[in-house]
Amino acid sequence: MANHLRFLGRTVMVQNGNVEAAYSALNRILSHDGLVEVVRRRRYYEKPCRRRQRLAYEACRRVYNAEMGRKIGFLARGSRQDPWPGC
Amino acid sequence: MSAALAVAWQRLLGAAWGGRGATLCRGLRTGPQRLQDLAEAAAAKEAENQSATDLSPLILQRNSMRWDGKIYEEIPIAHIKATYNNTHIQVVSFDNRPFARTSCGTEGFQNAKKGTAIAAQTAAMAAAAKARGKGVLHVRVMVKGLGPGRKAAIKGLTMGGLEVISITDNTPVPHNGCRPRKARRM
Repeated sequence: MANHLRFLGRTVMVQNGNVEAAYSALNRILSHDGLVEVVRRRRYYEKPCRRRQRLAYEACRRVYNAEMGRKIGFLARGSRQDPWPGC
Repeated sequence: MSAALAVAWQRLLGAAWGGRGATLCRGLRTGPQRLQDLAEAAAAKEAENQSATDLSPLILQRNSMRWDGKIYEEIPIAHIKATYNNTHIQVVSFDNRPFARTSCGTEGFQNAKKGTAIAAQTAAMAAAAKARGKGVLHVRVMVKGLGPGRKAAIKGLTMGGLEVISITDNTPVPHNGCRPRKARRM
């Protein structure tokens, strides 16, 4: 970020002296943007073989969680008008 | 084209910050105004989270807000470097004149105790006291690193009497630069 304006990105203004809320907002933004885990991961070097394993694991996990979420949402739907559609 | 001009303005101002103060500040405001509009969506995502108070105009209004009659770009900066083993705090004016510099080591903590939140808080309170002695009231905070003293140092600054007006995260993220050390516990 050295070539960018210093106080433009990753800045949170403090409202009404509420520093805690501002800090938690900043943390939420950073973790939502994935910066926190990137910094933590870069602390030690991650070899290419480990990196490939991790990416494959994360992709599988993403697919699995999405499908499981879909299944749970399907099974947990309530207040249906016709509980036996098609019969 | 105008975006390139704005970028050129920033580089010029980044290089020549100290001596020109007010005149370039006025020029600076037109450049980043455009970037503020663009970056408003990215930098002010908390607007969606804080539904009661709309924050996105706050970034645009920042140029009209005054603290003790000073504009945002003239308020001193408190750099907090929060490593895993220590926390350094330095309060600097906007043109890089130093006000106060403390760390957990200067506060009498040693070795492992330096890498704690309490040490960071005491160091921040000491830095705040020194800066108050030199007449600093408002401060914008730039935090670098993820360490135990990250939040505690900001809290210590407020407890020491400085008023924090904004928090910036300046954690260095290389775009695949230097190779870090090897993983532990092989």
